[in-house]
Amino acid sequence: MNIHEYQAKEIFRRHGVPVPGGGAAATEAEARALIKEHGPDVVIKAQVHAGGRGKGRVVKRDRASRTYNDLTREPERHEGQISGRRRGGVRLASGVEDGLKEFRPLLDKDNRLVSIQTGPEGAPISAALIEQQTSIAHEYYFSIQVDGASGQPLIIASAEGGQSIEEVNRTNPRAVLRIPVDPVEGFPAFRGRTLASQLGLPSAAIRQAGDMFANLYNVFTEMDASLVEVNPFVLTGEGTVLAIDGKVGLDDNASFRHDGYEAWRDRSQENPTEIEAEEANIGSYIKLDGNIGCVVNGAGLAMATMDTLMLHGGEPANFLDIGTVNRKDRVVEALRIIVNDSDVKAIFINIFGGLARVDIVAEGVVDAVNELKIRQPLVVRLNGSNVEEGRRVLHDSGIDVQTADELGDAAELAVQAAAKATRRRSRN
Amino acid sequence: MSILLNNRTRLMIQGLGNEGQNQIRRSLDYGTRVVAGVHPGFRGGDTFTHDDHSFPVYPTVAEAVEQTQANCSIIYVPAPGAADAILENIAADVPLIVCITEGVPVHDMIRVRSALADSESKLIGPNCPGIIQPASKCRVGIHPPDVFMPGNVGVVSRSGTLVYEAVDQLSRAGIGQSTCVGVGGDPIIGEQQQAILRRFQNDPDSDAVVLIGEIGGLAEQAAAAYIKRSMTKPVVAFIAGATAPPGRRMGHAGAIIEGEAGTAEAKLAALEDAGAVISRSPAEIGSTMRRVLEEAGKYQPPGAAEDK
Repeated sequence: MNIHEYQAKEIFRRHGVPVPGGGAAATEAEARALIKEHGPDVVIKAQVHAGGRGKGRVVKRDRASRTYNDLTREPERHEGQISGRRRGGVRLASGVEDGLKEFRPLLDKDNRLVSIQTGPEGAPISAALIEQQTSIAHEYYFSIQVDGASGQPLIIASAEGGQSIEEVNRTNPRAVLRIPVDPVEGFPAFRGRTLASQLGLPSAAIRQAGDMFANLYNVFTEMDASLVEVNPFVLTGEGTVLAIDGKVGLDDNASFRHDGYEAWRDRSQENPTEIEAEEANIGSYIKLDGNIGCVVNGAGLAMATMDTLMLHGGEPANFLDIGTVNRKDRVVEALRIIVNDSDVKAIFINIFGGLARVDIVAEGVVDAVNELKIRQPLVVRLNGSNVEEGRRVLHDSGIDVQTADELGDAAELAVQAAAKATRRRSRN
Repeated sequence: MSILLNNRTRLMIQGLGNEGQNQIRRSLDYGTRVVAGVHPGFRGGDTFTHDDHSFPVYPTVAEAVEQTQANCSIIYVPAPGAADAILENIAADVPLIVCITEGVPVHDMIRVRSALADSESKLIGPNCPGIIQPASKCRVGIHPPDVFMPGNVGVVSRSGTLVYEAVDQLSRAGIGQSTCVGVGGDPIIGEQQQAILRRFQNDPDSDAVVLIGEIGGLAEQAAAAYIKRSMTKPVVAFIAGATAPPGRRMGHAGAIIEGEAGTAEAKLAALEDAGAVISRSPAEIGSTMRRVLEEAGKYQPPGAAEDK
């Protein structure tokens, strides 16, 4: 789960990580108060879950898609057009009136922030973070994530911050420091000071930077974070260090032990259909561009099902991992989401039961066909636990469904059914 | 008797909730020797009975090991307690721990990996289907038993349901399995693919291996490096997610493309370079393995393995 920059900075502040003075505003009155307190010179940052805000554009909703095409087609044209250009998601302003002028379009409900990371629909802006401006002497990069191979936290740091770390790694890999962390030792302040020294920070800033790194590590462990990233943290003109950006990813699996997670979640930043799938307790749903709706159990098999459809010349309309099905109403809920997608011309259900019982899936399919009045052609492939009962349920129900025992045959049927449905439509 | 399990495997189950009970009944039906259960405050008392099978239930792993000499543990404990259950097995020096549980917090797994580093215990999972060995009738997991049959091909996969898919194709193609291992779909797991490949390479009962990977992470590149360096047995590989859009998490925490190395193309290229035979379609894993075995003169008609 991602959280907003202003939320990440609230966490930083509580853990003793230095951040610029400021706060989030969702109304003009709040913005006015923040500019008065932290101004006159402020930076105003749109709060969305996507990156690339500074080089993005704030536009009317109906222009989002065109703007996205512009941004992705000619990324180099937009290089360097960062803050202060009064069109992007990060703006500089001086004084209350100027600040409010920059603030208003961000909170206009008809506007979207479009960046190369938002996709063509853009992102609704949830709030604006208003902070005092900082005098910057140098920008650095710092992050902590989990390294799957070693099973340990991994710190990545660079004296070339403020830009994409992937790009630095590509052009100048020696400028990127990678420091595995022994989870038993953690990351005490002396390790932080060692890193600060390696990054070439001036002697007077080393103690403060070392504490900042150690405190960021505490954020990582205490918040059950999957990512803590500060790009950039800066050495200010006054010789102190300051985290002027902040990104924290939280581990959804740890939500049971953090009451705060739910309060930080911003559903306006998520896809509505994906939220619907979550509320129906369906493992995972992602909308795609094709026309064959898929219901599959297991993430690996769901991806492999998409792959098989493509190899047979079809296009999946979605990724859907229904998870372990032990109640037939989950099948109905999953199919409701698929049926409501107007792109779907054929439906492919591929279930290989292990924990899941195939007969329950079959009962759910029969219920769904009757309850949802499914019009699209249906291809069902069942295998695994209780498969004989499952096939019998389908057969005895008399519902209109094509079946196949093997993955390749079933995919072929689904692709043909979608092609036929599309041809029929175009003739009418 | 192939890798990880054998005729001397003495299984204990941890987590006798509804799902754990269902699964252990199916393992008992399959013929697996289950010697103990661990479940503090188990409602069924101190014995679990299913048809004419029964085993004692203990409140702690240490007692179960001491009383029954259990040497393998299967964990169905829900996610909040799963890491604790794994740590309890490590503390009791259980040689093989298999954790099925999905949704274990990643910071818990950091602690588990650090404990494993100082121990002789081996962990498979979490978020995996477990291990099954048809010849010894050992089912340590959640597999649908009917699709498996004894034979000479090993299977290792990050995905659970793709193990079943691949095995179904193998069995239909007349190819039995030595041992099938689902290593798990989480970012931090116990044994990774290359460790399982090493076990198959050293296993006299496995003549070839099916390797099933997926997008995200670098585990398949590590597996490819091992194949290139040390593997003489044929490997048939499939990578799921070639058609997945970048930047989207596909269910498995690991299955997200972050940069070039995580793509199916990068993984397939590494595996192909290492000499693995690639099955581009997930529907052709069985037929590809049949061809590879016949070319190597290692195809055993069904039933041959049982005579060993």
